Amino acid sequence: MKWNIPSLEELEDKIWRCTACGNCKVAYDFGPPPFFGQICPAGVEFGFEGNIASKGKVAFARGIINGDLEWNEDLLNDVYKCTVCAGCQEQCELDHKPFIPEIIESMRRKAVDEGVGPMPAQKVIAKSMRSFDNPYQGPRRMRTDWTRPFKKAKAPIKDIMKEDAPILYYVGCTGALNVPVRNLPVATASIFQKLGLDFGILGENEVCCGSTAMRIGDHEEFKRVAEHNLRLFKDLHDNHGVNTIVTSCAGCYRAIKKDYKLSEEYDELMDGIQVIHTVELLYNFFKEGKMKFTKELPWKVTYHDPCHTGRHLSEFEIDEDGSEAWQGAYLRKKDDNCLFDIPREMLQSIPDIDFREMERIRNNSYCCGGGGGVMTGYPDWAAKNASLRIEEGESTGAEQMVSICPFCHYNLNQGAKRVKSPMRLYDLVELLDMAL
Amino acid sequence: MTKTPQNGNVDPKITKALQEIVGETNATDKIHIRYAYSYDLSFVERKSPDYVAMPTTVEQIQKIMKFANQEKIPVIPYTAGTNIGGLCIPEDGGILLDLKQMNKILTINDQLHYAVIEPGVSHAQFAHSLAKYGFRWSWPVGPPSASVSSNALCHGIGGMSGRYGLNSEEITSMEVVLPTGELVRVGSCAIQEDSWHSCLPLPRMDGLFTGWLGTTGVVTKIGLRVHPMPPYLKVFTTSAENLGDMASYCRTIGNYEICDDITTVSWWLSQVPIPYPYKPKPEDAPEWVSFATTFSWTEKERDAREEIWQMAMEEEKKKGTTVKEAVYPEEALKARTQLPSRIVGSTKNYTKQAGGGISWPGTFTPLDKWEPVYNEWKKILTNRNLSPSVRATNYRGVHYGMLRAMIPFPKKDPDAVENARQGIVECLQVVLDNGGIPYKPPVDFGVEINKRAHPGYLSLMKQIKNMLDPNDIMNRGKLGV
Repeated sequence: MKWNIPSLEELEDKIWRCTACGNCKVAYDFGPPPFFGQICPAGVEFGFEGNIASKGKVAFARGIINGDLEWNEDLLNDVYKCTVCAGCQEQCELDHKPFIPEIIESMRRKAVDEGVGPMPAQKVIAKSMRSFDNPYQGPRRMRTDWTRPFKKAKAPIKDIMKEDAPILYYVGCTGALNVPVRNLPVATASIFQKLGLDFGILGENEVCCGSTAMRIGDHEEFKRVAEHNLRLFKDLHDNHGVNTIVTSCAGCYRAIKKDYKLSEEYDELMDGIQVIHTVELLYNFFKEGKMKFTKELPWKVTYHDPCHTGRHLSEFEIDEDGSEAWQGAYLRKKDDNCLFDIPREMLQSIPDIDFREMERIRNNSYCCGGGGGVMTGYPDWAAKNASLRIEEGESTGAEQMVSICPFCHYNLNQGAKRVKSPMRLYDLVELLDMAL
Repeated sequence: MTKTPQNGNVDPKITKALQEIVGETNATDKIHIRYAYSYDLSFVERKSPDYVAMPTTVEQIQKIMKFANQEKIPVIPYTAGTNIGGLCIPEDGGILLDLKQMNKILTINDQLHYAVIEPGVSHAQFAHSLAKYGFRWSWPVGPPSASVSSNALCHGIGGMSGRYGLNSEEITSMEVVLPTGELVRVGSCAIQEDSWHSCLPLPRMDGLFTGWLGTTGVVTKIGLRVHPMPPYLKVFTTSAENLGDMASYCRTIGNYEICDDITTVSWWLSQVPIPYPYKPKPEDAPEWVSFATTFSWTEKERDAREEIWQMAMEEEKKKGTTVKEAVYPEEALKARTQLPSRIVGSTKNYTKQAGGGISWPGTFTPLDKWEPVYNEWKKILTNRNLSPSVRATNYRGVHYGMLRAMIPFPKKDPDAVENARQGIVECLQVVLDNGGIPYKPPVDFGVEINKRAHPGYLSLMKQIKNMLDPNDIMNRGKLGV
């Protein structure tokens, strides 16, 4: 399968388009009233210019490309100490803006290709991917452990390879294998059953989406699982009636919606299949009046926007032929695909909920600190960063923080524990399931 | 994989000494970290510091300065590195003092209308905080990430310079660590610790630390006048066929002192971004457009300002100039009225079409020399296929003025960079010949200024520098003497 995953060298022209103006270092909106906030987790923690935002990473990229910098442990660490949250991308307005996460990840791909990356702790991910098709070292049979309550309740979930269904619930490795967030698939399936949806899962046959591998630069491993999945999805469409893939995981969602499109065969293999996040699917039912909340939830709740269901889904318009501005000009951004409004609207529709916004939200949301392989590579820092976000949530008076990403859920929970916060973490589907 | 490479100047003992002062994680000699401080937007050649230290307290800065002074190691203060004259690029290695973690807004005095801030406070942060009090600052047309104090210390300009002068004229007090490590204060805070209202009536010792091409101390706290934000904004926009006519209008409207900002830009600068390479102006477009911002507290006051502006226009009509009411390009106008702005017209947007690089001949040139200088600049720049993207602005009514060209270039292409650099050098020579003074220029231009200086001026400057910095550690090599 042919992939258009750019190398660092192929991005050189974009790299030189950075002015080093530093707009990317913090979130800022003119307003009125004006808004300012920290946006780069690595910048907050490590502070040197090289650590901060795209300005710092572009400096590394320039140094690597022009031979001023050679790989060493320190450089490698600082390339991997980035959550690739795209907070810096959101602030930038230059022509390299659409490519900022690619520039960062292409350095990692180069490191992996040259045998020096990823970081030692992340190599476990790569090894696990090869052995178990997931980054958690979880044997395949464990992928269905979360379904036991459904079997026990005599409401088993379809194995889509054995029983056809129009909806594939693509559970994702984190929901299935990371025990502290298993409530997520349980709540998802519970809601689906309450709504009477005809859906199935891949169970032991589910293979990682490849998001984590891609984020740490292991593009060969990403391609391996992505190719498997793309062909599997086509088979499910052609032979098992699947026309919708639902994912509760922001990482899977981003990977399938965006990274898989780097395959030249994406359109052909995904023809007739829509990829949708669980909350989008539920929102449609909600708007059609098919999902009604009957129970009150008198909670003070704040919402954390995951990077992968938010600004990572922004679409950038580029003047490819120079007809509007000049060749390669970044023209504008569309946020139509970003899941900013839907989770908020659904949360606020739950009876008796007291919803409170944090200062940094939507495009300017502050990353939980777990993305880009940081949760595995630098778990202490990931939790420390998450605790900053928890404290921001606490300052609203909220007692629960809700998100739609199992990665954020897990890492924010680690952050809450670290600062002994009473903040409780939930996935939105858990609240929706409670309110139904 | 290789071990961390080091260059010959780096001494691990110095790194360790710095780490003992600021903490292990706040000082480094790692080559890739130093690399990220080695360049900026300008054409100034890339040079790395030998060490980077991020102090978080005044005491740490004092210790570093005492240490550096004793060891005769150069020190380069750094906050955001956004200037376009290479001012934070070290000429001679040394310790880069990254002050961004000292970013507290210490006071906003809503009675006396001043703020006291640390060096790492950015314009974005300042705007966010001042807005809560209904205050504003003279925001420059630069990235909101730029440092407020650095901009003031470097004689930066802003959206209220037409009324109040340079941002350095808004300084009310300062706390400074001298190159010897001694802590000093100038202005009212020197007499009473918590009183930051004014540099006067004391001797103007703030000048010891403002406007030097190589810093003379590390300013750790700065008091700045802030101003209430009136609700009514009215912008008067005009055009003219030549800069002589436009200068006449700027002088006339400046006489009435009703504007916060009076600025005119050539057609090329009114484009967002600046055309690169040069492209001819459409024949039907005026060569100059101007805006004059006025703020008012009531509609009546706004109308009165408009009446005065009409008077100024009548005067120009009688003179027979080409000045007339005109539409200022929308995007460019946003860049003048929506500040600080990360989107329109700020430095990065100027350079957008060229790709990555920008610098300038930024000069203080009074109104009566704008036209002859511009005409020369235009020849120089267009001969080099560069846009004559020029801005001219009145300061403090009509007392003095600025003339500068923003020259973008693609940093990837060394020949194009050199072409722009040479063009800027030639422009500077023209302005010096006409009595203008470059500001915030790269060190080569500082040398050029000093060549023409009165010997007494140079001698005094050297004496002051020697007194403040006996071992010449502050931004060594930047002063051009």
